[in-house]
Amino acid sequence: MRPSYRAAALVALAVFALYAATLAPSSALWDASEYITAAYVLGIPHPPGNPLFVLVGNVVTHLPLPGTSVAVRVNLLAALCSAVAAGVWFLVTERVLTGWLAARWQRLAGATAAALLGATAFTVWNQSVVNEKVYTVSLAIFAVVAWLTVQWCDDPEGRVADRRLLLIAYLLGLGYANHPAGLLPLPAVGIAVLLRRPQTLLRARLLLAGAGLFALGLTPFATQPIRAAYHPAINEGDPTGCVDGIGWACTFSATTWQRLKANIDREQYGKPALSERQAPFTAQLGMWWLYFRWQWLRDAYGEHDTLQRVLGVLFLALGVLGGWVHWRRDRRSFVFLAPLVATLTVALAFYLNFRYGYSQAPHLGDTVPREVRDRDYFYLWSFSTWSVWAALGLVACWHAAAEGLAARIGWARAGRGGTDPGGDGTMTRADGREGSVAVGGGPPRPAAAARQDVAAARGAAHSAPPSAAALPGRRAWLLASPVLLLALVPLAGNWTQAPRIGETVARDFARDLLNSVEPYGILVTAGDNDTFPLWYAQEVEGIRRDVTVAVTSLLNTDWYARGLIRRPVYEYDAANGPAVYRGRAWPKPTEPVLDMSIAEADAVPPYVVLPGPQLFVQDSLRAVVDPRRLPYGVLERADVLVLRMIRDNAGERPIYFARTMGGYPHALGLERYTLSQGLARKLLPREPDTGRDTLYLPGDGYFDVARTRALWRDAFRGPEAIARRGEWVDRASVGIPLSYVDTGLTLASALAQTGRDSLVPSILARVERVAGATRTLELLRGAQPLQPEVRSDVPRGREVPVRPPDDGGAAGRDGGDSGRVP
Amino acid sequence: MRMPSRRALGWWGAAALVLLLGYVDLARGGVTLAPVLLVLGYVVLVPAAVLRG
Repeated sequence: MRPSYRAAALVALAVFALYAATLAPSSALWDASEYITAAYVLGIPHPPGNPLFVLVGNVVTHLPLPGTSVAVRVNLLAALCSAVAAGVWFLVTERVLTGWLAARWQRLAGATAAALLGATAFTVWNQSVVNEKVYTVSLAIFAVVAWLTVQWCDDPEGRVADRRLLLIAYLLGLGYANHPAGLLPLPAVGIAVLLRRPQTLLRARLLLAGAGLFALGLTPFATQPIRAAYHPAINEGDPTGCVDGIGWACTFSATTWQRLKANIDREQYGKPALSERQAPFTAQLGMWWLYFRWQWLRDAYGEHDTLQRVLGVLFLALGVLGGWVHWRRDRRSFVFLAPLVATLTVALAFYLNFRYGYSQAPHLGDTVPREVRDRDYFYLWSFSTWSVWAALGLVACWHAAAEGLAARIGWARAGRGGTDPGGDGTMTRADGREGSVAVGGGPPRPAAAARQDVAAARGAAHSAPPSAAALPGRRAWLLASPVLLLALVPLAGNWTQAPRIGETVARDFARDLLNSVEPYGILVTAGDNDTFPLWYAQEVEGIRRDVTVAVTSLLNTDWYARGLIRRPVYEYDAANGPAVYRGRAWPKPTEPVLDMSIAEADAVPPYVVLPGPQLFVQDSLRAVVDPRRLPYGVLERADVLVLRMIRDNAGERPIYFARTMGGYPHALGLERYTLSQGLARKLLPREPDTGRDTLYLPGDGYFDVARTRALWRDAFRGPEAIARRGEWVDRASVGIPLSYVDTGLTLASALAQTGRDSLVPSILARVERVAGATRTLELLRGAQPLQPEVRSDVPRGREVPVRPPDDGGAAGRDGGDSGRVP
Repeated sequence: MRMPSRRALGWWGAAALVLLLGYVDLARGGVTLAPVLLVLGYVVLVPAAVLRG
């Protein structure tokens, strides 16, 4: 029987329409901005670099879609990929139901339920309305591989069987070039081949061709060293040996290979071996279960905990039931789908080896190591695939309900010898029990015998519907169909929290943070949420490109400083800058932010051991760098480079620290020289004099009242964006709204202290709108400490010792006896 | 496994040519045509060539 491609396309279109209607109009927090920017500039995002996504995303950014921004186009790519996956799950489910339900409308209903469940599961939906990751592209490839494998399992000796296997091999390679998760279907494909037709694995030419195509699928990685040689704005890992432009010798050099390999292997992350468990495996499975519960009712504020648990158990049970009926009714596709589900749940949880989830087991607090954010997106494939089994379980319930109704009301056609008076291919028997009508007519037989008949029929012509299956009548099915409404649960349950309509917080926050910095300034940030949106704002929307963003988590790597040295100095666009910077000249610097060669930057050690408190002197600035205040007790490479920037840019560029960095200036002994202006702290050459507009606020340092008020009143757009968005779902990124709450409250306090009480109410009202809309305090209840500090998902480039080594640090550099920071 | 047909070889030839041109343009600093050619090659032509066998 030909699969219902047209119906699948319609379902995919409907899913796409849902995503398009709930799409983010801009970028988002976490990695969305990084990926959109990387696609736009044809750059290299964080390891492994995702070259397939970058290529596809780049093409998408240039599509002439009227009325859309770059971000919307990339978001539409995510929506399209997930919609394709929904269409494929429709086909897979319909295919499984073919050997079970005789009427096409029933199979289509079951298949639609699968597509709907998979498409509206929280993480799938939420990740499909903004391109936060490359996982939706992976999902589409996953689904196509699944469909090809199911088809191969149906006909492993057919005319196109080999081609399907070869295409699967190619797609696995291509999927890996998008993300390593592209290989996740491989074990399931292997098991399916082994169980369906093991002799396939002995065909040397086929295997050789498959290996060749797999390798061809990996070749998009070759784009990385080529692009890196052109030093695009996003060039993470800098996987090239070329320093001054592309060339044969430097491209095909050992350095290029070593850096490319480090990127592909994600060495930067230094993941421990699987034998080193970062949390008990039961806790890792608990994390999957937590996120699984989120899929059917996202409840960020813990208001419907019991209902969420009930729904979690319900959909878990439906999936298990679906797996069971799948096993009973269609072994051919089961041998693939079951290993796939196992790979995407238990095996994936083991492989990912996460620490405790950010929102998991809040009662344990900081007594256990935690991920810096919730990682539900890593299980997007798991929840999407689960929808097939959940839908099969739902169909089993539908079937049982129809049988019950048929038995109760007597809408049955026992003894009519396999005819189908209703004309819809459905039949039933008087008592409604399964298997009591023989295939092809004849007297009623026991259920087990009927099952054997069905199995035999399935073996003979698998893709054909049961010509006279033991099924209830049409009216019974129709009456029982409200059972299928359960498939609408995630649509309703996630309706308020999965969509990203009107979400512009990331872009507006980026604009506000950049505008807190004076023209041509350097802004030191922590990573991720106070960094990636800035990249997007600068490179995609052209906002404040004059500001140089220096992110400390990446300064610890060996490649990031090269990018800072190479970064051009962009002209300040005064017309689009804040009014507070108008009316005065801002000389454009001519030198890079780091006055050092590439070789000198490469030679900066991972850390410098300080024998004791050291004095950093720059004109009138005298900062005591005390190793006891540094997180690892040593001066990290990032700290060295930040101090170097302070020295190299004295009198040339203002230097700022994002307020989201928390106590970083304090750790470097600079706290007495920083002055808060808006969302950033400006480093001053000397300790400021206090006055009406420069206050010293205990715990916050010096505060520029006039500048902050001007920015807050005239430049900031974030508070309105946050209030408009409301329902702040992601706990780990709550530092962003908190930074506005913190700044607004500090400003209000400063104004009150200086007798300007009349200005306070409007500021507090705005703060309340932010805090109220995001329910900030409720969101933090039982979670991490209340602070606007941003925690980076980007790991430190290299591990540094917790305590300085006794020998002064062979891997680092001794601070010497001069008492000065080198 | 049979040898590819002439038609299939045509698809493979087109895929190889498009990918080659994409990489050449990329190596020359192209950021407009190169990604289009590479996506066309990887996402459309190679799968088509495989299916045409």
